[in-house]
Order: sequence, then structure tokens, then C-alpha cells
Amino acid sequence: MKKNTILKIEDLKVSINDKEILKGLDLEIKEGEIHVLMGTNGTGKSTLVKTLSAHYDCVVTQGKITYKNKDLLEMDVSTRANEGIFMSFQSPIEVAGVNNSYFLKTAMNAKRTYAGLAEIDAMEFLKLLKEETGKFNIDRKLLQRDLNDGFSGGEKKRNELIQLLMLQPDLIMLDEIDSGLDVDAIKTVANVINSMLDGKKSILMITHYDRLLELIKPDFVHILNDGKIVKTGDYSLALELDEKGYEAIGIKDANK
Amino acid sequence: MQINNIDGLILPKKSEEEFLKINFDSLFSYDFANKETYEFDIMGLETVVDEEKYQSVLFDISRSFDNKQKIITINKNIAEPIFLIHKLKENETIFTNSLKIKVAKDIKASIVEVFVNSCQNSFYAVNRKIELEENASLEYVKIQDINASNSMIFSLAVNQKNSSNLEISNFEYGDAFVINSFENILNNEFANYELNGLVKLFSEATTSNLIKTIHNEKSSNSNINYKHSLKDSSKAVFKAKSIVNETALFSKAFQSCNTILLSDDATIFAQPHLEILIDELEASHGTTTGTLSKEQLLYLQSRGISKDEAYEMLLSAFENKIVDNIKDEIIKEFIKTYKKDKYV
Repeated sequence: MKKNTILKIEDLKVSINDKEILKGLDLEIKEGEIHVLMGTNGTGKSTLVKTLSAHYDCVVTQGKITYKNKDLLEMDVSTRANEGIFMSFQSPIEVAGVNNSYFLKTAMNAKRTYAGLAEIDAMEFLKLLKEETGKFNIDRKLLQRDLNDGFSGGEKKRNELIQLLMLQPDLIMLDEIDSGLDVDAIKTVANVINSMLDGKKSILMITHYDRLLELIKPDFVHILNDGKIVKTGDYSLALELDEKGYEAIGIKDANK
Repeated sequence: MQINNIDGLILPKKSEEEFLKINFDSLFSYDFANKETYEFDIMGLETVVDEEKYQSVLFDISRSFDNKQKIITINKNIAEPIFLIHKLKENETIFTNSLKIKVAKDIKASIVEVFVNSCQNSFYAVNRKIELEENASLEYVKIQDINASNSMIFSLAVNQKNSSNLEISNFEYGDAFVINSFENILNNEFANYELNGLVKLFSEATTSNLIKTIHNEKSSNSNINYKHSLKDSSKAVFKAKSIVNETALFSKAFQSCNTILLSDDATIFAQPHLEILIDELEASHGTTTGTLSKEQLLYLQSRGISKDEAYEMLLSAFENKIVDNIKDEIIKEFIKTYKKDKYV
């Protein structure tokens, strides 16, 4: 069955603080596919996902990004989110004074309003929250606190998972969601992500470690170097990288 | 009548260190048509002549028009707050009001004063004296919502006996020319004084808060905590002076002033000042000025919340920290649901 392209990136050049980070990147993601970005530090992995989220630091100097057949670069941050793009931050910011539950309900209703649907009320929200988090035994007490405020690293990542479950995005971008997590926490992340794979949702994941990839089997592994994708393969490429290292598979670190 | 022309009245001058950055010219030179003492709609209040010596000359402005002072004495615990609503209606008028609030020994009370108006080109000079007996506790909340072309000078002095507790929350919402003066000389042990303020300005509002706290006795505590959110061309002045004298061993004196500037033309002049004459104490001050966090705004928007709504969420989070300090739940709810329309 032919799969539709959800995201197409053509010759993308991005600068941060006048320094060119992405130097002509091409990437195509179809519905239901799992893509992994790997590469040494500073090659542009986070810059790519931040650019897709319209991060203020990332200045697109050239290129085209098409998302669901629309020009992504014409959309602001919240529009991209309401169109189904979700970026899980490496280190989610703390927002003291904004209740986590109120924030999440507001986000859900923003998306529903954007889609022309009626807003959900507090009762429906709580019911849905209980259902979704209950499936994965995720602690709902995080919702009673202020958004990420005083959360441990693991709690912040769990909070991102709760948001994923409730917002049900179409393109899920995970920026090192496994960093700092123990074995059990990584399994929870994998269970949540795998539960969302319905053949339509797509994943773009950044990770350095094989443990998460064992649990979420990628369709494509891309290696970034010096702002471009230099090698693409399937899961076996990640295994080869894990065994031999970058230089051994012909990737010279451009920062050295 | 012009305030400039009142015989024998010593007026504050912009050149004086205390009143630096405050321009009284328009107010003191304005030719008001009338003067009036604003009377409370409360029967049986005692009336005295106010002959007290205050630190600030601002008290004398009200006294020069009317030196009489009403007294509210609270000598039993009251379950609910006392609400005093001031509604100024006449144009071109100097209004004055002077009140002493006395709370008896071991008594707990709360008072809310709301200042609103529907007039133009008027001025309100308000004097307040708070006296707390031993172990008394008062939560005093003030809302100022006076609109442009009007002015207000609010002067408050405090006298606290041993182990008394005073918590003041001051909400500045109007776009008038407003000056608040708070003075507290802590002459007794274990007195606790908290002054919280939210200054939320817009248009060409100018609000100044002049705060003077002197610790003269052991184990006395003061905590001055202000937040400003300033839009358009509004201007705020915050001058807090806390002095801890040699006799005030083991005291605590804290100050904090956080400001968010929401436009290029908004201005804050913040001058925290600690004078510490002993080593055995805790004291700190912190002043920050900035804008809403870009990173926080991005995070909220990245979940689909519009820029405007994200902005309002963060602003409310900043401002609510002052509301959250209020202990009395009725008062807290009153502040959260306050709307000027209910009164004018």
C-alpha cells in the first residue's frame, strides 16, 4: 500500500547565531515510519528538530520544508503543534506558577478548536487522563504540580510522555528522550511510543544509545555529519555504529 | 486651590533623595475646584486630631486639609474581612481620608480597602496608621484602581507591639499618578512585617512605592516582596530602605523586587537599600528586571497554545505569586474575581 509523505525536507540550510549548522539537508518521512538521527555532537541533529518546531534560535537561510503538503516554514510554533508536530525537548523548561493539568487541558483544547471540534471539559479531561496514563502505569500526581517545576529528569520525561498520549500528534520528534533514564523508564518510553504506532503516526528520534532502538525498531537510521545526512541505512547501521564507532564506518568528525 | 500654595506645608521635592525620579509638578500645581473629606459609611467611629510625627512629609498633605482621623478599633476576632470601598465621583476635587486601625491584644483581623473612581482630575490624599497590640495579627489588603487624569497619595505608618503580625498586600491596577509610602519602625521583639505588592501598569500610569523599615529591637522580621508588570509607557518607582540597627540582634530583613517589562517604553526605577549595623542577623535583597521567558513561551506554544494565550498564562503565573501570599481565602477569592465594573 502506498504511504503518503508526511514530511519532506529539501536542501535545508539553518544557522544559529550566524553560524551555519545545517548545510543542505534532505530528508523524507512517510506516514507510519520510524526514523532515527545519529551522529557525533554538534552535527546538527537537535538543530533539525528545533527548526521543525520553529525554535527562535534557528534561522532558515535556504531550503524548503513540506509538511502534510503545506509549507511548514509559513506556520508559527503553535500552528505547527496544532497540525500535529510534537517535539519532546531534551531538557524541558520549568514553568513555575502554571499548573500542569491546566496547561495540558488548555493545549488539548487549543488543538481541538483548531480542528473545529468542541472543547473538552474538566470531567472528560480527567477521565481521558486516567485512561491513557493507566495503561502505562504513569504517575498522575505530576499533573497536580506546576509545569515541570522541581521535576527530576525522569519526571520531566514522563511528563512529556503524558503530553504525547493526550495530544496524539502525527509527527513525534524525540530529542534524546532516553538520556538520564534507567532501564525501566526506557521500557515505559518504548511502550508508550510503540502504542502510538498505528501506521499513520511517524517518529523522528535522536539518540546515541542502542537500548531504546532495540525496543522501538527504526525503519531508517540516518547519520548526520557536518550539517548533512551522509549515510542512511536500516537498524543494522545503528548496530554497526554501536559496535565499530563512527570512524570505522567512514564518518570523520568534522569538529575535530 | 493649588497644593503648592498651602501655607506652611512642606512639600516633597524631586531633588530630595527620597523622592528622586518622582515628578510632583503637575499634581502640586493643578488648580482644584473643591476639597472634601471622604467619609466612611460607618456609624460610631471615634474621631481624633492626628498630631503624630511621621517619617514622611506626605502625611502632611492630607492633614493640611483635614487633620481629623477616624479610628476603627478591633477588639474581638472577626470571622470575615472588613471591606471598605472608596468611590470617588466628583471632578476637580481634593479628597482626604485619614484612618487609624487598632487591633487589640491577641486579636486576629483582616481588612480590605478598595479605591476606585468615576471622576476626572481629582486627587485623593489618604493617611493610614496601623497599631497592633501584643500578639495581634492583621491582614491588610489594598486595591488601587484609579484612572488616568487623577492622582493619589497613600501614606501608611505602622506601630507593632511584641509578637504582632502584619501582612500587607498592595495591588496597583489603575493608570493614574500614584505614590504609596509605607513606614514601619519595629520597636518591639518578635514583630513580623510582610509587605507584598503587585504593580500592574499600563498606558501612561506612574506608580511609586516608597518603603522604609527600621529594625530597632531583637528578633524582628521584615519581608518586602514586590512584583511589577509594566506595559505601554507606564513607569514604576520602587525604593525600599531597610535599616537594621545595633539593638536589633537576630532580626531578619528581606527585600525582593521582580519586574517584567512588556514594552520598550515601560520603565522601572528600582532602588533596594539595606543598612545593616550588626552581624547577627539574616538579610538579603534581590532585584530583577526582564521580559517573559522566551523559552517558556516557546514551550507553551510548542504544545499548540497560541502566542497571546501563552503570554497571558506566563504573566498570570508571575502576578499570582503575590495573590498566593494572601492567607484569607475570602480575600484571595475577592482579589482573583475583582473587577472595577462592580463598583463604578
